[in-house]
Order: sequence, then C-alpha cells, then structure tokens
Amino acid sequence: MTRLPEDLEARLRAAASGEIGFTSSSNAKGVSTAWCELADKADLVPVARLLKEMGARLSTISAFQPQPVESDDDDDEDDDDDGEEEDPPPPTSLGGVVIDGKSYEIAYHFDLDGNTLTLLLFLPVDAGVVDSLTPLFRTADWTEREMMEVYNIRVTGHPNPRRLFIDESVEPAVLERLIPFSTLVNAASTRELWEKILATKGNAA
Amino acid sequence: MSTFTIPVGPLHVALEEPMYFKVDVTGETVRSIDMTAGHVHRGIEYLATKRTFFQNITLIERICSLCSNSHPEAYCMALEQIADLTVPERAEYLRVCASEIKRIASHLFNVALMAHLVGFDTLFMHVMQTREIAQDIKETLFGNRMDLGANCIGGVRFDFDAEKLSFLSGQLDRLEPEVDEIAGHYRSNHSLLERTRGIGVLTREQAVACGVVGPVARASGIAYDVRVKAPYAAYDRLDVPLHTRSDGDVWSRAMIRIAEVKAAIDLLRQCVSRLPVGPTAPAERPEVPAGQAIAKCEAPRGELIYYMRTDGSNRPERIKWRVPSFMNWDALRFMLKDAKVADIALIVNSVDPCVSCTER
Repeated sequence: MTRLPEDLEARLRAAASGEIGFTSSSNAKGVSTAWCELADKADLVPVARLLKEMGARLSTISAFQPQPVESDDDDDEDDDDDGEEEDPPPPTSLGGVVIDGKSYEIAYHFDLDGNTLTLLLFLPVDAGVVDSLTPLFRTADWTEREMMEVYNIRVTGHPNPRRLFIDESVEPAVLERLIPFSTLVNAASTRELWEKILATKGNAA
Repeated sequence: MSTFTIPVGPLHVALEEPMYFKVDVTGETVRSIDMTAGHVHRGIEYLATKRTFFQNITLIERICSLCSNSHPEAYCMALEQIADLTVPERAEYLRVCASEIKRIASHLFNVALMAHLVGFDTLFMHVMQTREIAQDIKETLFGNRMDLGANCIGGVRFDFDAEKLSFLSGQLDRLEPEVDEIAGHYRSNHSLLERTRGIGVLTREQAVACGVVGPVARASGIAYDVRVKAPYAAYDRLDVPLHTRSDGDVWSRAMIRIAEVKAAIDLLRQCVSRLPVGPTAPAERPEVPAGQAIAKCEAPRGELIYYMRTDGSNRPERIKWRVPSFMNWDALRFMLKDAKVADIALIVNSVDPCVSCTER
C-alpha cells in the first residue's frame, strides 16, 4: 500500500537521463517514504522540475560526507589473517563516486501531500559542484546557502550565494575540520579559567 | 519621495530573540527587506553527532523552548523507524498529550504577544494569565514548565495515573471557558481588528511558493497539517480538525492559533477518555542498526522534519532537522512589502518566529 502516485518511479525514470535507484515503503499508518538515488547529478534539475509539476514541496536539503561502511571481517578471530590481505576497495555510489568519507552526499527531501520523496546524489570531494534548485523552489534558498557555508560544496546558479549563519570572517567548510573549543571561543574562557586556577594555586602555595 | 534604509533589530523585534532586518522605506512604507541571521548559531547538528542516541534526547530538547517537546519527539520517531520499534499504544496517546499541552502554551504565548504589540496590555496579561493554567498542567504532570523530558526512544518517560488524569481534566475545564472568552475579544474587539486585519497579507500563491507551514500556511488557505496528512503517534485514531482561513493576514494567523488551542483541549479530552492500558516504553534500550529515516511531526509552528543517518555505532552519523520557522521567514518579504513601519514588529510576530530553532 502506498499513498505516493503509482507511476512515480516510471515518471522519475523518464525524467532522468541517467540511471536511478528507487525504493519506497509505507509504515503502519500508511505514510510512504521513497528514496531515489540519481546516478548523474545533471538529472537533479529535470527531476526537480517534474516534482514541481506534481505539486511537491521541497522541505529541506541535507548534505553530508558519508563514511564508508566498515567490513565485518574483524569479528572472525579464527581467520588466518596474516595482515597482507588487501583492503577491499571503498564502496561507490550508483554514479561511481567513491564513498571514502570525503565525498559528499546530498539529500533533497520533497513532500508529496504528507509523504516524503528524497533525491540522493553524490559529489566527489574535488568537484563538489551542483546546480541550484532555488530558481525552481524558493525554499531551497536558505538551505543551499547553509550547505555552502558548512561544506566545500559550490552551488551554481544560486541568486544570492552569500553566507547564511556563519560570519564572513570564519573560514569556510566548518563541518569538514576540527575546530578546538579554545579556538571557537577565542580562548576567552580558557584563559580566564587558567588564571583562576593559578590564583587558587598561588594562594595555596 | 526618496528611499532610505533603517535597521530593525537584531534585538527586540518582537520576541527577545535576535534577527536583524534591513528595511528599505519610502516615508513610513516598507519597500523591501533583507535579513541577516546567525546571532544564535550554536552548531547543534555537529554536537549531536558527538553524543550517543540517548544523550542527544537531552540536547535536542534544548534547541528551542516553546516547541521543546516536538524536537525529541521527531528525533525519537526517526530512530524508531531505523530500529524498527513499535511504540506501545499507551505511549502513543501520551505523546499526543505532551504535544498538545505544549501547543496550547505556545499558541497562547504568541497571541498574547500580538495583544501586547498592538498596545492592548490588559488583554496581553489576561491571555498570559490563562496560559498559566497550561504551565501549571505541565509543572504538575511533568515536573517542569518548559522542557517536559517526555520522550524516550520507543515510548515515553512518564505515565498518568487516575489522580493525574482527573487533575488534567479539571484544568481543561478551567481553561476552556477562559479561551472562549479570549477568542471573543480577538473576534470582536474594534481596536484589535483595526490593527491586525488586512495587515501582513500572504496570498495562497505566495504561501505555496515560500513553502510555509503550520498556522502561517493554514491562515493562507493551505490545508496542510502533519497530524492529518502524515499521521503519527495516536493522531490516526483521534478526531483532528484542520482549520484554514483564506485572508492570510495577521488576524487570520492569530485566529487559527486560537482555534487550534480549542482543538488541542478537545484532543487532550479524547486522549484522557480513550487512554489504553499497557506499557509506556520498551523494557530495554534498543540497538540502533545502520540506516536512514525521515520523521515529521506537527510542532506548534508547523511541520518539523528530521533526517537521520546511522552507521551502526551508538551515535548519529548525520542528523539534520528543518524547523517550521526556517520556512516562514521568507514569507516576511511578502508580508512586509508595503506595510507601515509601525506594523513591522506585529507582522514579524505573526509568523511566530523562533530564531533558536532556525539557527540551531
């Protein structure tokens, strides 16, 4: 039982020039969730245009850097593992992007009358460029700006690609690097704390 | 007449939360606005990936105060999907109770502020006094006036015995006539209507384009409520009315909220009378396998959506949520166009904005 249009998969396939991977399921209350991976990122705009015609609403966009799934081999202690066995190649997406913990996955969540369809696409780390959906869906505006400031992803065709939340003075791609707490707070609280400790120690000595 | 730019905010635009507006005006008429956000950006999505699933419930409840129950609710729903957990029926009804009590308090707070912003402070205090009944319910039943700590993965952390249920029913009987009286003022008070009708209009087409949700969408004629369109918890077994209006102005948004307060009182009564017996949470902490899920719930301000990706460890690999306010800010560009400068705060308040939610 699904509350998504019966021909959704066929229409998505027709709109995309590359391959797609489609799955859908419904929960006990009849609410459907579908996932559609696009092999070719150039299919994003044509598929989004189809969804717009179907009356879909772009709820939000989630970007992240998926980690490769660890193999379960380590559990077999009886194996005569001499350590020379080569690691299996890292997994790749449908479109051939290597999932090495650095490449990006972007999930576009669309609402179809209460049900959710998520378009997934992968970008290699050295070519993190994707077309903007803002000209089609106003609702993509802020969320694409947020994606650009927390990752090294470039969105082409965005009408207003300036920072959303994070100040211009902060280096880009904050989610891709470790920022020590002392740097984050400009060492202000740390120094204060340290001086407090020194003062206490000085009194005790 | 020449156009000039005035700064509004970041402090005290309507709520005591920071959002900075640059408003281009001609005389006292707004021509266009620009918004600068980020004053309370705390990086909670990053922090959430550094905590375990169970620790996160505490963190996520603190993203926002007025919709604090909706965040852990949607978070738990996402994890329950991945772990393939079935929430006990009693817990589903109890989740509705927690949500609807929070909705009453949140909506009354917003309509009270509207009265304050039009200078009708007597009504402001009257509504806040009424809201105090909802606060008392929360304090008595959950031990806290804001963060209820109601949800856990697979169920709820609280239960109502006969004494608590009769307390709840008694308080609802006290609350309802007060809300009826308040609704009468908002429906008929001349000075209130003068300041709020036909102000800050968002047409249905603009509302669709902006993707607005919650009372803002419903006041512009969009019949969308997650409780009806994508039922969760016990909403599929309850009678949930869907209120819409067509004018899309400040007053319509307030009237939708008041109607939803009445509906919430009714939903709570339905829960009290039908509350099934049984467990409220799983006996053991669940294992969460690798997977991904989307969960939605209707927070007081509208659709709240959570996207969760897990990798088999005890922490989320990625977690992303989009709060209703995130959508509703954009609509202010339409609502504020050609508005009077004196109405800016009133119109901003009418989308019931939450900056802490928006910026995370």
